[in-house]
Amino acid sequence: MESSLVLLLVLSLFLGAGCWLFFIWGVKKGEFDDLERPKHRMLDDDEPGKKP
Amino acid sequence: MNVFVDRCFHCGADILPHQLVTGGKDNEERSFCCRGCLGAYLLITGAGLADFYRRRETDGVGLISGAYREEYGDSYLARFIQPHGVYHAIDILIDGIRCAACVWLNEKVIGRLSGVIDVRVNYATNRARVVFDEATTTPSTIFHRIVELGYVPRPYTRSAAEETASRERRDLLIRFGTSLFLTMQLMAYSFALYAGYFQGMSPGMKRVMQYFSLLVTAPVVFYSGKPFLAGAWRSVRNRAPNMDLLIAIGALSSFFYSIYAMFSGGEVYFETAAMIVTFILSGRLLEQSARRRAVSGVERLLSLAPTEALRISGDLMEVVDVSLLKPGEIVLVGAGERIPVDGTITAGSTEVDESPATGESLPVPKGEGDCVVAGSINLSGTLRVRVERPASDSFIARVARLVEDAQSRKAPVQGITDRVSAVFVPTVLLLAAATFFWLAMSGAPTGEALMTALAVVLIACPCALGLATPTAILAGTGAAAAGGVVFRGGDVLERLSRISSVLFDKTGTLTCGRPAVIDVQPFPGVVAVELVSLASSLEAGSRHPLASAVVAFATWKGMPVLAASDLLTVPGGGVMGTVGDKEVVIGSERFLRDRGITGIPDGAALSAGETVVHVARDGSFLGSIFLRDTVRPDAGDVVGYFVRLNISPHLLSGDRRETACRIAAEIGIAESEGDLLPEDKAAFIDRLRGRGETTLMVGDGINDAPALSAADIGCAIAGGTDIAIETSDLVLARPELSLLCFAHLVSRRTMSIIRQNLAWAFVYNLIGIPLAITGRLTPVYAAVAMALSSLCVVGNSLRLTRIRPGSDKLS
Repeated sequence: MESSLVLLLVLSLFLGAGCWLFFIWGVKKGEFDDLERPKHRMLDDDEPGKKP
Repeated sequence: MNVFVDRCFHCGADILPHQLVTGGKDNEERSFCCRGCLGAYLLITGAGLADFYRRRETDGVGLISGAYREEYGDSYLARFIQPHGVYHAIDILIDGIRCAACVWLNEKVIGRLSGVIDVRVNYATNRARVVFDEATTTPSTIFHRIVELGYVPRPYTRSAAEETASRERRDLLIRFGTSLFLTMQLMAYSFALYAGYFQGMSPGMKRVMQYFSLLVTAPVVFYSGKPFLAGAWRSVRNRAPNMDLLIAIGALSSFFYSIYAMFSGGEVYFETAAMIVTFILSGRLLEQSARRRAVSGVERLLSLAPTEALRISGDLMEVVDVSLLKPGEIVLVGAGERIPVDGTITAGSTEVDESPATGESLPVPKGEGDCVVAGSINLSGTLRVRVERPASDSFIARVARLVEDAQSRKAPVQGITDRVSAVFVPTVLLLAAATFFWLAMSGAPTGEALMTALAVVLIACPCALGLATPTAILAGTGAAAAGGVVFRGGDVLERLSRISSVLFDKTGTLTCGRPAVIDVQPFPGVVAVELVSLASSLEAGSRHPLASAVVAFATWKGMPVLAASDLLTVPGGGVMGTVGDKEVVIGSERFLRDRGITGIPDGAALSAGETVVHVARDGSFLGSIFLRDTVRPDAGDVVGYFVRLNISPHLLSGDRRETACRIAAEIGIAESEGDLLPEDKAAFIDRLRGRGETTLMVGDGINDAPALSAADIGCAIAGGTDIAIETSDLVLARPELSLLCFAHLVSRRTMSIIRQNLAWAFVYNLIGIPLAITGRLTPVYAAVAMALSSLCVVGNSLRLTRIRPGSDKLS
C-alpha cells in the first residue's frame, strides 16, 4: 500500500512539474509583461488575407 | 447661444465656426476640427477600421500637442533599428494612446503596411515593437503612418536600467511561481501529517511524507528565497539587521529544526519555512508592479527637443543633427516647430510657447535680440536663431542632468519594518542563545537544549511580522488607486505620512494654469454685454489662451457671438477684424494706441499677475477686459489642511516675486519664493532636507522635474507634463488638489494599521516565546497559533480598503 502511495506522490510531482515548466516558458516568452492588452485582443476581428 | 458648431468626430474637441472641416464617405457627412483629423478619419474608415469609433472608450478630448506635426527622417531613425532574425525591428514610444481601441487601431494600421512583419503595442507602457523587412519598407513610412492617425511616435531605445528592471521582474515572477507551486504540493503532505498526528499514522508512512516535504521545501528556501538569503547576508556583513534577515532566520530555523526533528522522530515544520517565503514574495511582486512605469523620465525629457535643425550658412541651407551645431551658427525655425537649441533671435518676430521651460501658460512675444529656450514652441512666425549654447548644454539637457543627479543622490530610506527588525532580531537571537545556555547549564542534554532554543526562534517567526507591512501597504495603495491617487511603491506611503513641509509649484498646481476673465470694465456709456460679445466674436478665431478665456467667458454668460471677417492677428499685439460693418480692434494698450485709439485708462492700476485686453470699435475705445490665472477652488482648503497638521506649506514659483506673494497670501501660505530656476527649486528642497525635514513637492511642469526628484516625495497632477509624472513618486489621477489630502490620509491610516499589525505580532511573541522557552508549546498548536496571527494581520490590513475620498472629512 505504501509503495503505491509513493508512486502516486511521484506521479503528482511530475504532473505539477509539467505545469511549472509551462509557466516558466510563458514568463520567458514575455506572456506576463502586458496584462492589459490580451484581454481585449479576443474581441478583435480576425484578419482575413494578409499573412506575413 | 453656443459658439461651438459641433464636436470633432475624430478627436472629440469642440469646433469653432471658422475651424469646421466637413467630409466623409458614403454620403455620411461628418464634422472635424481640422484637416488632420479628417485625414485620420478617412484613413481609418478607408482601411475598414471604422469600428475604432465604436469601441473606443475614452473621455479624453482633443489630440495631444504635436500630432500631425513631427516627422523623422530615415537617416536619424537608422540608429534605433536592431536586427531581428532575418528582419529588423524598431521600438517606438507612441504618445496619445488612451484606451484599448487606440492600441487596436495602431496594431491594425501599422500591421497592414507592406513589409511590416509583426507589430505589438504594449498597453501598459505605450510602446510598440515593429518588426519589418528593410527591403520593402522604411521606418519613416511606419512613423508617418502613425502620425497620420493622429498619434505622436518617438523612437525609443531601452535603457540599460530598464533592461535590468524587466529582467528582475521576470526573475521574481519565476521565483514566486516556483515557490507557489511547491508550497501547494507541500500543503498536501502537511495535511496528511496533521491527520497522522491526531489519528495515528504508520512510522514508515510518516517518514515518506516527511522526505517528500523536505524535497519540495529545499528549493523554496534556497532558490525562491535566495533574494532574502542574499539580503540577510548583506545585512549581517553591514551589521544592520533588517527585514530580510528576519525572514531568512525564520525560514532557515524552521527548515533546519524540521530536518533535525525528522531524524529524531519529532514533528516537522517545513510548511512554515515555505509559507514565509511564498507570502513575502507575493508581497514583493505586488509592490513592484506599482512602479513599472517609473523608469524612462529622463529619456522622454531629452526627446522633447528636436533632433534635427535647419542650419543656414550664407545661402546654403542644410538639415543637420543638433549635436553638430556650434555656438554662433544660425538656424531657421518655422512656425509651429520646436526650437532646437538655446539661442538669440537674429531675425523675425513671433510668439513662443515657453510652457515646457517656465510653466507659463501665456505665449510670450519675442523679437530680434530676445533669447529662446530649446524645447519651447515657435507659434507664429519664422525665425532665424543664433545658437548660444551647444545642444548638449541646452535648457532641456541641463534639466535632464539635474533630474539624474537628484535621483542618484536619493538614498534609500529605512522602512518601519526594517527599524523594528533592527531591535527585534538581536533580541530574539539573544533570547534563544540564553535559553540554550541556561538549559545546557542546568544539565539538559545538548540536543534538547538546541531544540528548545530553535523553538524560540521559530515561535518568534516573522510570519505575522513579515505580513504586517506588505498587506497593509497593498490594501492602502489599492484604496488610494480606487480614489484616484497612484503611489509608486510602498515606501512612498510611509514617507508621505512623515512629511514636515509641503512645497507647491504655482502655475498649473495651485492655479488652474489658464487665464480666466475676472473683470469687465466698459467705458462709460458702453454696455458690458456688447463689449464682451464683440471681443469674443473676434477672438473666436484664435487659439491664444487669452482669446479662449474671453470666448469661454462669453459662452458661459450666454452672450451672442457674431460672425467676424477680415481677421488679422498680430503676434504679441492683438486682433483686428470686421464685425457687421464696423471695424473692431482688440489687444494690448500699445496695439490700440498704434492704431490711433485714445481714451485708454492707464495700465498702472493692474495688480501683479493680471493681464488686460482693450477693445475698440471704429476708432473709439469701448472698454477693457481683465484676465488672471485663477487659483484652484480647493487650494485654500488643502493648504489649511496641512497647516492644521503643523506641516509648513511653501510656494516655489518661477514667476515674479510679487505674483508668487499675492497667490500665497490669497490661499494662506506664509512662505513664498519667486524668480526660481529649476535648479533653485531643487536647491531649496535640498536645504530643507539638510535641516532634517521630510519634504513633499507638488508640481506639474518640466521645470519642476528636478525639484520633484530631489524631494522625499514628488507629486505630480494629472494633466501635467509627462516628465513631471515620470519623475514623481505620487500621481494624482484627477486634476483636483484635494486628492493630496486624501493621499496623506491614506498614508497615515496605513501607517497606523502597520503599527497595529506590528503590535499584534509583538503580543503573539510575548505569549509564545515564554511558552517555547519553558518547552510547553507543542508543534501543532504553534502552527495553528501562527496561522491565526497571520489571519488577524491580513484582516486588519483589509480594513484599509474601505477609505474613500471624502468618506472622512479632511481633518
